[in-house]
Amino acid sequence: MEISRRDFMHIAAIFGLGVVGAGCASPKTPAQISLKDIYTFNAKGNFTLLHMCDIHAHIKPLYWREPSTLISAPNLVGTPGFLCGEAFSKHYGLEPSSLDAYFDTHMDFDTLAKKFGKMGGIAHMKTYLDHVRAERGAQNVLFLDSGDTWQGTGVALKTSGEAIVKAQNYLGVDVMVGHWEFTYGKERVLELIKMLDAKFISQNIIGNDPFADEYEELIFEPYTIEERGGAKIGIIGQSFPFTSTANPKEFTEGWSFGIRPETLQGYVDELRNEHKVDCVVVLSHDGFSVDQEVARMVSGIDFILSGHTHDPSPKPITINGTVIVIAGSHGKYVGRLDIDAKNGKVNGYEYKLVPIASNMIPADPAGVKLVEELYAPFATEFNEVLGKTKNTLYKRDTFFSTFDQLINDAIMDEMKCDISFTPGYRWGTTVLAGDDITMDNVYEMCGITYPNVYTFELKGQRIAALLEDIADNVFNANPLYQQGGDMSRLGGVTYSIAVANEAGKRISKLTVGGKPIDLDKTYIVSSWGGNLQNAGENLQKEKTRAVYDVTRDYIKRKKVVDVSNAGNVTLVDYDCGCPVKGSRSC
Amino acid sequence: MQRREFFKKMGSVVAVSAVIPMMSFAEEAKKLVGPNEFSYEKALNIITSGKGATASPKVTLKAPEIAENGAVVPVTVEVESPMTESDYVKTIHIFATKNNNSRCISVHLTPANAKAMFSARIKLGSTQDVVALIEMSDGSFLSAAQSVKVTIGGCG
Repeated sequence: MEISRRDFMHIAAIFGLGVVGAGCASPKTPAQISLKDIYTFNAKGNFTLLHMCDIHAHIKPLYWREPSTLISAPNLVGTPGFLCGEAFSKHYGLEPSSLDAYFDTHMDFDTLAKKFGKMGGIAHMKTYLDHVRAERGAQNVLFLDSGDTWQGTGVALKTSGEAIVKAQNYLGVDVMVGHWEFTYGKERVLELIKMLDAKFISQNIIGNDPFADEYEELIFEPYTIEERGGAKIGIIGQSFPFTSTANPKEFTEGWSFGIRPETLQGYVDELRNEHKVDCVVVLSHDGFSVDQEVARMVSGIDFILSGHTHDPSPKPITINGTVIVIAGSHGKYVGRLDIDAKNGKVNGYEYKLVPIASNMIPADPAGVKLVEELYAPFATEFNEVLGKTKNTLYKRDTFFSTFDQLINDAIMDEMKCDISFTPGYRWGTTVLAGDDITMDNVYEMCGITYPNVYTFELKGQRIAALLEDIADNVFNANPLYQQGGDMSRLGGVTYSIAVANEAGKRISKLTVGGKPIDLDKTYIVSSWGGNLQNAGENLQKEKTRAVYDVTRDYIKRKKVVDVSNAGNVTLVDYDCGCPVKGSRSC
Repeated sequence: MQRREFFKKMGSVVAVSAVIPMMSFAEEAKKLVGPNEFSYEKALNIITSGKGATASPKVTLKAPEIAENGAVVPVTVEVESPMTESDYVKTIHIFATKNNNSRCISVHLTPANAKAMFSARIKLGSTQDVVALIEMSDGSFLSAAQSVKVTIGGCG
C-alpha cells in the first residue's frame, strides 16, 4: 500500500517522530498544491465507483464551513459520523491549515477561504470525473449519487428540480436514491425521473395505500446490476428511511419508507445467489451512523456508499466486513473507490475523498455554459444584493449557527412572536464576514417547497415536551432512533442541555424572553420547515408568509446584519463542541 | 385472486377482528375499575396469573423504530413453533405499554393454523414499548419487546 502524505503525517504523529520542520514549514498554498496532488491515486482493480452525496443542488462553487459543534450521545461522540474540528483533524491526521483541513473542518475557515477559494461546482466536478474516466476507461467507471441532489438552491426550487436533473445528466450520474427529492411531491418525482438519464432505485419504498395498485409493492426497482471492467456489480438502493416523518407526509402519501433490513438482506442474497454478482454495493441515504448499524444487521454487503449526514470521511470504515464511505456535502467532494472484484469476490480496494477545489481543478467550459443558462432566467432576482454581513454567516453545528440566528431574528422581528423555531437541517451556505448577502444566498438557506412561517399558540408545558422530543431525535444513543439532523434552532429562548441524560430529562433552565418558562402560560410561536404548527392552536393565518421573503425583507431593512456567534444553548456535559472519543472534552 | 385484492379484503377482516378482543377485554375487566385504566403490568399479571413472561428469541416482533404515523403502526409477530397438538402457540397478545388501553389485540390459535404469525396495525399515543406476549400450549409465556418512537418529526 502506498503511504500518502496524509498517512505519513498521521504515522509520524503516532510515533512522535516530530517531523523535523513540520511545525514551521507552512502548508502548501494553492500555488504549491498542484492538480497532481489532488488527482494522485494508487489505481487498483478492474473498475471504479465515483460517488457524490448531498450536493443539495449546488451546481455553482460555494463556501461551506464544516461544523464547530457536533455533539451526540457519549457512546457515539468522537466516532466517525460525530467528529469535527480538532477531533476530526486528529482522527484523520490532517495538517493544520492545509487544503484538507480547509475542506474538512471549520478551523481557521475565513483565512483559509481567502487562500483556497470556493468549493465544488458541477463544471469543476466534471473535469475531475472526466479525468478518472480517461484514466480508467469510461467503460470501467460508474458514477453513483446518494441523493439530496435536487433541492437546496433557488434554481432548484424555481425549476421544481429540473435544473438539477439537467446537471446530473451533464455529469453522467448512473444511479441515484433520494430524500429531499420527495419534497417536490411524488408526481413530480416520477416526472423528473423520466427526464433523468440515471436509474432511480430504492428497496425501502413500498406502497401503503390499500386502495392503490401498488399496495405492498415496490415503488421503484430495488436494485440494478451494472457491468464494469468485466465485473457484475449489484447496486441496491436505500432512500432516506424517515422521509415521511422528517418532511411533510403529504408529499409521499401512500408510500412507506423505513430501513427495512430484512428485505435488504433478501436482495443481497438474491444478487449473490441468483445473479452471481462479483460485488454488492448499497447506495444509501440512511446517514453515516445508521449505515454502520445496517452493516451490523445485514451480512454480505461489500460496500455502502452512504449519504444524508454530510460527513466528509477521508478514510473508509469497515464494519462486519462491509466498507462504508461517505463524501461530505454541497458538491465539495467526489469519492473515488477503485475495486478489484472477480469470481464473486472483492479482493481489494483503494479509496480517496477528493476535494473539488475550484481554484485548482479547472472548470469544464460546457459546465460553465450550462450553469449560466440554468441561472439566466432568475439572474435579476438571485443577484440582488440585500445587504452585508459583519460576521461570517454559516449553517451546521448541533445547536446554533449564525445564519439560523439571522433567520430567527427576521421571523421574530416580523411575526412579533415569543419564540421562533428554525429547523436543524444540515444544508445551506456560508457567507464570509464583510461579504454581500444576495437573494441567491437566502434561497440557499431556506429554499424549500413548504416555506411557510406559521404563527400559532403553544402552552409552555407543550414547548418543553416538544424540545425534549426533538432532542431525543438528535441525541438518542441508538443511531436507529435518530433522524440525522441537528437540534432545532430557537429564537427568543435559552436553555441548558445534558445530552447524556435519558430521554425527557435533558433540558433545563429553559427561558423565554429572558424569564424562566411558565409551563401554564400560552406563548406565541412561529415556526417553519417542520410539523410544529400541527401541535399548535389559534393559527394566525394572516401572518403566514414564506421564510425566504421574511428573511429577504429583514436583511434589506437592516442593510448590515451583525449576528454574533455567542449561541443561546449551554452544554452541561461536554466542555467543547468537538470532543474526542471516550471523552467529554477535546 | 390477486395479491393486492387479497390484501384489500384482508384489510376489512382486520378491521372487524380489532373490535372483538376489545369486547372480551371488557369481560375480563369487569372486576376492575374500567378497561381504560388497565395498565400493561396489570394486564400481564392477569393473563399470566402472576407468573410473568420470559423474553425469548423464539418470538420475533417486527415494528418500525420510528413510526411513520402513530395512528397506524405496522406490527408483525412471528413465533417459532412446530404447531402440533402437543406443542403450539395458543395466543398472541400485542400490547402498547403506554396506551390508555394497553392491549391492542389477542389472537387465539390452534395447531390447524400451522404457522404462528400475525400482522396488525396498531395505534400508539406516544413513544413507548410494543410487547408481544405469547401463551404456549404448555401454559408458559414468552415475550418480545421493542421501543417505537412516535415523534412530531420535522428533520431536527
